[in-house]
Amino acid sequence: MRLFQKTNFNFIRHRKIAYAISMALLLSGIVSLFVRGLNYGIDFKGGSEVVIRFEKPVEVGVVRSIMDQAGVKGSVKQFGMDRSLLLKTDYQGETTALKALILNSLGTRLPANSASILSLQAVGPSIASDMKLSAIKALGAALIGILLYVSIRFEFKFAAAGVVAIFHDVLTVLGLFSLLGGLIDFMPLEVDQSIIAAFLTIAGYSITDTVVVYDRIRERLRGQKPSEYERIFNESMNQTLSRTIITSGTTMLSVVILFIFAGPAIRSFAFAMFAGILVGTYSSIFVAAPIVFDWQSRSKNPIKLRGS
Amino acid sequence: MKNNTFKLILIALVTLVSLGAIWPTWRDHVLTEKLKSFRSGQDSLKFALDHRTEIEQAKEKSLKLGLDLRGGMHLVMEVDVLDLIEQKAWNKDANFTRIMGNVKSEASRFSGATMVDLLAAQFQKENIRLSRYFYDIRDSDKEIVSRLKKEEQDALTRAREIIRNRIDQYGVAEPVIQTQGSQRLIIELSGVTDEARVRKLLMGTAKLEFRLVKDPKMLLRAIQRVASVPLQAKAVTAPPPADTAAVSVPGTVATVPDTAPANTKRLTDVIGMMENGVVYVPAYARDLVVSVLKRDDVAALLPQDTQLLLAAKPEVTVKGEKYYPVYLVRKTPELTGGVITEARATFSAQDSQPEVLMSMNEEGTSKWARITGANIGKQVAIVLDGGVYSAPVVQSRIPSGNSVINGIGDLDEAKDLEIILKAGALPAPVKILEERTVGPSLGSDYIRAGMFSMIWGFTAVALFMIVYYSKAGIAADMALVLNILIVISVLAGFSAALTLPGIAGIVLTMGMAVDANVLIYERIREELAEGKSLRMAVDAGYSRAFSSILDSHVTTLAAAFLLYVYGVGPIQGFAVTLMIGTGASLFTAIVVTRVLFDLFLDSKFMDEKSFG
Repeated sequence: MRLFQKTNFNFIRHRKIAYAISMALLLSGIVSLFVRGLNYGIDFKGGSEVVIRFEKPVEVGVVRSIMDQAGVKGSVKQFGMDRSLLLKTDYQGETTALKALILNSLGTRLPANSASILSLQAVGPSIASDMKLSAIKALGAALIGILLYVSIRFEFKFAAAGVVAIFHDVLTVLGLFSLLGGLIDFMPLEVDQSIIAAFLTIAGYSITDTVVVYDRIRERLRGQKPSEYERIFNESMNQTLSRTIITSGTTMLSVVILFIFAGPAIRSFAFAMFAGILVGTYSSIFVAAPIVFDWQSRSKNPIKLRGS
Repeated sequence: MKNNTFKLILIALVTLVSLGAIWPTWRDHVLTEKLKSFRSGQDSLKFALDHRTEIEQAKEKSLKLGLDLRGGMHLVMEVDVLDLIEQKAWNKDANFTRIMGNVKSEASRFSGATMVDLLAAQFQKENIRLSRYFYDIRDSDKEIVSRLKKEEQDALTRAREIIRNRIDQYGVAEPVIQTQGSQRLIIELSGVTDEARVRKLLMGTAKLEFRLVKDPKMLLRAIQRVASVPLQAKAVTAPPPADTAAVSVPGTVATVPDTAPANTKRLTDVIGMMENGVVYVPAYARDLVVSVLKRDDVAALLPQDTQLLLAAKPEVTVKGEKYYPVYLVRKTPELTGGVITEARATFSAQDSQPEVLMSMNEEGTSKWARITGANIGKQVAIVLDGGVYSAPVVQSRIPSGNSVINGIGDLDEAKDLEIILKAGALPAPVKILEERTVGPSLGSDYIRAGMFSMIWGFTAVALFMIVYYSKAGIAADMALVLNILIVISVLAGFSAALTLPGIAGIVLTMGMAVDANVLIYERIREELAEGKSLRMAVDAGYSRAFSSILDSHVTTLAAAFLLYVYGVGPIQGFAVTLMIGTGASLFTAIVVTRVLFDLFLDSKFMDEKSFG
């Protein structure tokens, strides 16, 4: 089976359109980041999360009002599993007291529907700020590492364009999280540790697709005149189009499976991965390689490629 | 091909080793099922006894599940290094307290820096030498900083050992206790059912002190001095309900009259007195009063070298109202818990209430004999972590070095006290920064979800490869099976726990592992389209796709590695499976499918059309 027979898209000629789309994506993401901000999970904000399971189905509103009256400030949502609710609160005191408060108030108000606490997570503010710092460090280190590695394997221009593409991908997903955060009931799209894991995986994966395109460009570019570059870039991208999309496709397939089956704790992660791979595939064709092309046509030095 | 013999042996070896590593997990599963299948308890017990070593071995070597799948408790605790530093300081004055306050607020802003460095920086800013408060006056700042840092490190190590002791005595299977940075401990306990009790057990500093109780007249005078201290406005925002506010304890003569305006409550409003001279605080106001008494301005009002302490346990009136007696004790303890060598929880012979018997070392015994001898007829308070457990009147000199804590709620608490006293006191207070508890029922839900996604992930990817690449897809799928086998066996072999994010990592790896094959197959298709023979196209496909495969694997590995280094807890599980999976896929995609192709080509199983 073949999804892509011989394609002949002129990616380079229409790159300005792609740039415009990317800018629009990024800008709306950035604006949303400033206006709406991010919906941080307790990992980065501190606070407590409690999963409560009831014996019988229960109205979210009822539990919400019971919690309000008990003085537990926060939000109550469906957890995405049977008869389970997720209570989020910025409560940072003694968890024993919180547990007792929740169970007592539910026990008195809903005596016929017994509730049990399935899991409880409480993160103090100092840990939360530490985690934020480590997350930023990890992302920074990943970008620098990739920049160095691709510089060694290809050339600085290629590496820089690749890192720009990663930035593009991560920022777009982050913008998406900011735009949709808290709006969808079955996935809160909160930025927590698992989303950082997604970002790092996206960073690693985004460059995977990019490298596939680069590799072909490098192979074809050897000993060619700069005037031929546009044709070579285009042909390389067309030739690798199939594999770029199929590799992303198989990974996306497993991410979709995760989204459907792996339960609420993984859902936001799977969503981030899905969006990241999608944008990453797009960016390796429409962002990374065109940037290298533009940069190259502006600089006087011919491309000096290392490796094979 | 001749060099394939080596590769074939290698593949067979890897497969065998993987299967070997997974075998105990399988046996463990089979044995557990078998144990469950017996109808009578006797049969299953007999089976368990007959196969004891086998069961134990399988259990030990089988794949470990992480806390989120098995249920358990993950805690991050912090040793209060500031408290430790304060303990080390002498000559403490107002200036010192102020600087420590600065350090505290700095510490909350810059996490990650060690307290000692922050302290040194603050002192430098104020141009005060550390030696004014620490160690010897002749020491240089640098020496003091390094000594304090050593103290800090020692305190953390000691705290870890003490907490390990406590957990071991409480009895949790395979606890994980690690230090992180200069003041944190990471504790993982699986299968804990009574989290509240464990938390208390871990947090208890168990600072045991024997303190002389001052006579009632002095207590009365002390209470009068602090009576008009306002309770902080902030603390009174939640006034107790009216009915409990007017506690009437039988035998009350008078509560000190309420002279303060209603909105600025004073200490007198929550302290009462009985006709027998017992001063008490009603239960609802306990925390409030404890925090007020801790304030420096309040402590300064009391007579020299004295302190007001509340009882650890409330007394209950006939009406069921709870109140805490207040004691005035000497601030300097006569004896501290360091001298305790042995502790035992038991029931008292007189009233069958739980109590803890303690015996002391030689030094403690002789001191205790002297103290009791000199204070016959007086009360000695037994204070644990700032709460008075009991204050018996000394009847006679005690030469044996024995003492007893009573006034304990139940036997569990007595047992925990025994554990804590035996394990020793923590060098400084600890607090819980992060707590994650997962109950076993949610864990089994996660396992089911994880299994489903693995099965469906594999099915989807494997089917896709066969549909898209026909016979070549079969080779990729076989490689995929081996890949998953390797990931699980490495986890089992190195006793790394499988977590839910770890399962997500495996599912993700399935999608990524075939990427290498996709790159190769697409290249082979291209070479075939150029009219090359099948064998030449396969050769060219493998050699030309290699560089992109290497690059993409290296970058993914790097990202996963960073995630492992900077991530915490379950996320590390994801990073680990991703790393193993990516590494394994280099091997399976490049070596395994290559050998399979050679075999397929030789056996005429494949032809030009086999790449779809």
